Amino acid sequence: MRIRYLLPWLLLLFVAGLAGCRSAVQITAEVVAVPAAGIPERPDDSAWNSAPEHAAKLLLQDLVEPRLMQASTAEVRVRAITSGQEIAFRLEWMDATKNDLPGPAHFMDACAVQIPVVIDANAPDPQMGQQGKPVEIAFWRADWQASVDGRPDSIKEIYPNASIDHYPFEARSLEKGSVEQREMAARYAPARALGNRRAGPREAPVEDMVAEGPGTLAPAASATSKGRGVKTANGWSVVIVRRLPAGFSPGVRTQTAFAVWEGSHNEVGARKMRTGWIPLLMRGQE
Amino acid sequence: MARVYNWQLGRQMSYWYPESRPQRQFAAVFDTNKCIACQTCTLACKTTWTSGVGQEYMLWNNVETKPYGFYPLGWDLKLLDMLEGQKWSEREYEGQKINHYDGSTIFESAPAGERVLGWRPEDQDYSYPNVGEDDCAGQVDGGASFSMEHMAWFFYLARICNHCTYPACLSSCPRGSIYKRPEDGIVLVDQGRCRGYQECVKACPYKKVFFNPMTGTSEKCIACFPKIESGLQPQCFVNCIGKIRLAGWISTPDKARPDNPIDYLVHIRKIALPLFPQFGLEPNVYYIPPVHVPQSFTRQMFGPGVAEAVSAYRNAANDPDLAGLLSLFGSTEMMVPRWKRQGEQVVGMNEGGEILRVPLTEPVHIRPAYDRLYQISRTNCP
Ligand code: SF4
Ligand code: SF4
Repeated sequence: MRIRYLLPWLLLLFVAGLAGCRSAVQITAEVVAVPAAGIPERPDDSAWNSAPEHAAKLLLQDLVEPRLMQASTAEVRVRAITSGQEIAFRLEWMDATKNDLPGPAHFMDACAVQIPVVIDANAPDPQMGQQGKPVEIAFWRADWQASVDGRPDSIKEIYPNASIDHYPFEARSLEKGSVEQREMAARYAPARALGNRRAGPREAPVEDMVAEGPGTLAPAASATSKGRGVKTANGWSVVIVRRLPAGFSPGVRTQTAFAVWEGSHNEVGARKMRTGWIPLLMRGQE
Repeated sequence: MARVYNWQLGRQMSYWYPESRPQRQFAAVFDTNKCIACQTCTLACKTTWTSGVGQEYMLWNNVETKPYGFYPLGWDLKLLDMLEGQKWSEREYEGQKINHYDGSTIFESAPAGERVLGWRPEDQDYSYPNVGEDDCAGQVDGGASFSMEHMAWFFYLARICNHCTYPACLSSCPRGSIYKRPEDGIVLVDQGRCRGYQECVKACPYKKVFFNPMTGTSEKCIACFPKIESGLQPQCFVNCIGKIRLAGWISTPDKARPDNPIDYLVHIRKIALPLFPQFGLEPNVYYIPPVHVPQSFTRQMFGPGVAEAVSAYRNAANDPDLAGLLSLFGSTEMMVPRWKRQGEQVVGMNEGGEILRVPLTEPVHIRPAYDRLYQISRTNCP
């Protein structure tokens, strides 16, 4: 009997040992946030080497319609660092294609970090929380990153050969940059006129949201998260920085979950690869 | 899925939400026989609503030449291909003959994991808005002559959002960002709530929701609701050169009123038919089918009522009520919820009473080629 209990551990040690041969990365079964003096906002900051890595297996979102029927991204590797006020996650996953140009039937590479609003052993439903048990979601998207990195807010960036005769807000009678001109432009961009935060142009590639179950995603009262994503040779490396969850301190455990959207696989909204809850621990000051 | 009643199918069907009809339903009749594809409607809409950045390719109203015109490319053929076996039968219902759809709708054929059977146009599919324009089906060989139906034919199909009773766009949105207004049945995308998942673009069989890449949200025809709220017909109706359109309110067949122009044409005379009723959305733009087109084609497009509709329409000249009502089309900017014929005149009315009066037969003025008064020829080729 005993040997049967021991086997998985031996196997784990063996795998960890193998990983150790390749690099000094410490693999953990949960996401461990390491306290540090500052937050590394760049994905390639060497400070990330100090944080252990959790390789989270991604599952199909196949509980609510529209579902994702065919699996794509297999896992996301996560590290976390906290400054005491903020917590930063670095998510890395394999992705051969860069999808950051919006358009009809174009979908964006993206990822998200989800954390329950209240630290509670009895966690909300892992898929977007549940009524009365909200979750907070920080969502990063490749096209927002591109516009934060300087891609102009113009149709020509998406369709370089587009030829446009005239936009009403370019009428000669309207002074460029004037209130009247901006009002006219907003009139033909209803989502922007209504202040829909996802309607760009964006100042941060990350959006803060809250949800109490599938279909209830709403903008958070305040948008404080930031981040930065970089396309690497094999995939994406994305840092998402958000404020520390209330009550999260050294030695405390809460939960976190991740989602990854593969744009080239038409993944968007509910069509995504996601994890279940994973324990999130803040390591004591060392 | 809930069970709802779709009168166009003569049966109950499955839908994502329970049946909830608005207090009144915006509807329209388009007479395909009068459309000249001048695209004035398209531009009226374009200049009113979609001149912004990201809206360049959007045509909330478009006019395509059938059989080879599509916007976006192949919008109807692709879905017809996916939706197998669209058979109809005749049934008896409460002593009345009704057409019963035996096939399955796009809701009933939804594959696992989906709410609706649909497909997603790519940007190239929107790149040919005038594909097939004025292209004829068939060849005109030497010695050919025209009879009814024409052996070589085409017709113009003007299209807007159908403000469906069972919108696929609405049912496909996982966020509930699309709503149907209880006061008039107009279907709108909430631009504050939409997150641009494009599920509606995939789901709408008529492809009348468009993704705006600059705002990242989906946008669609709003039936010019600010005009409707002021008792006026939408832009594409009042600017129509061919006077092919009439906007109004439709009742369910059991509540049809002969003095309601839309009810009269759709329910009582049955000359105006829905576009692809077999999709199952109970669309609310009704078409008078083209009289010269082989009915094997129009039956698939407008359902089994085509033969009856065409013969009633062809007899309109001897049918003063029908001819009279058709002459109300394009005669006023105001909505005309009620009508009656008084002898040789047709009267359009609203809650406030009479709004217009149109003669059944326009007076004919013959202008002689030579004007004796001014001693001048009025034509170039006397
Ligand atoms: S035509 Fe399409 S966009 Fe319009 S209500 Fe119906 S499903 Fe929605
Ligand atoms: S304005 Fe009228 S006649 Fe001209 S294309 Fe549009 S529907 Fe047809």
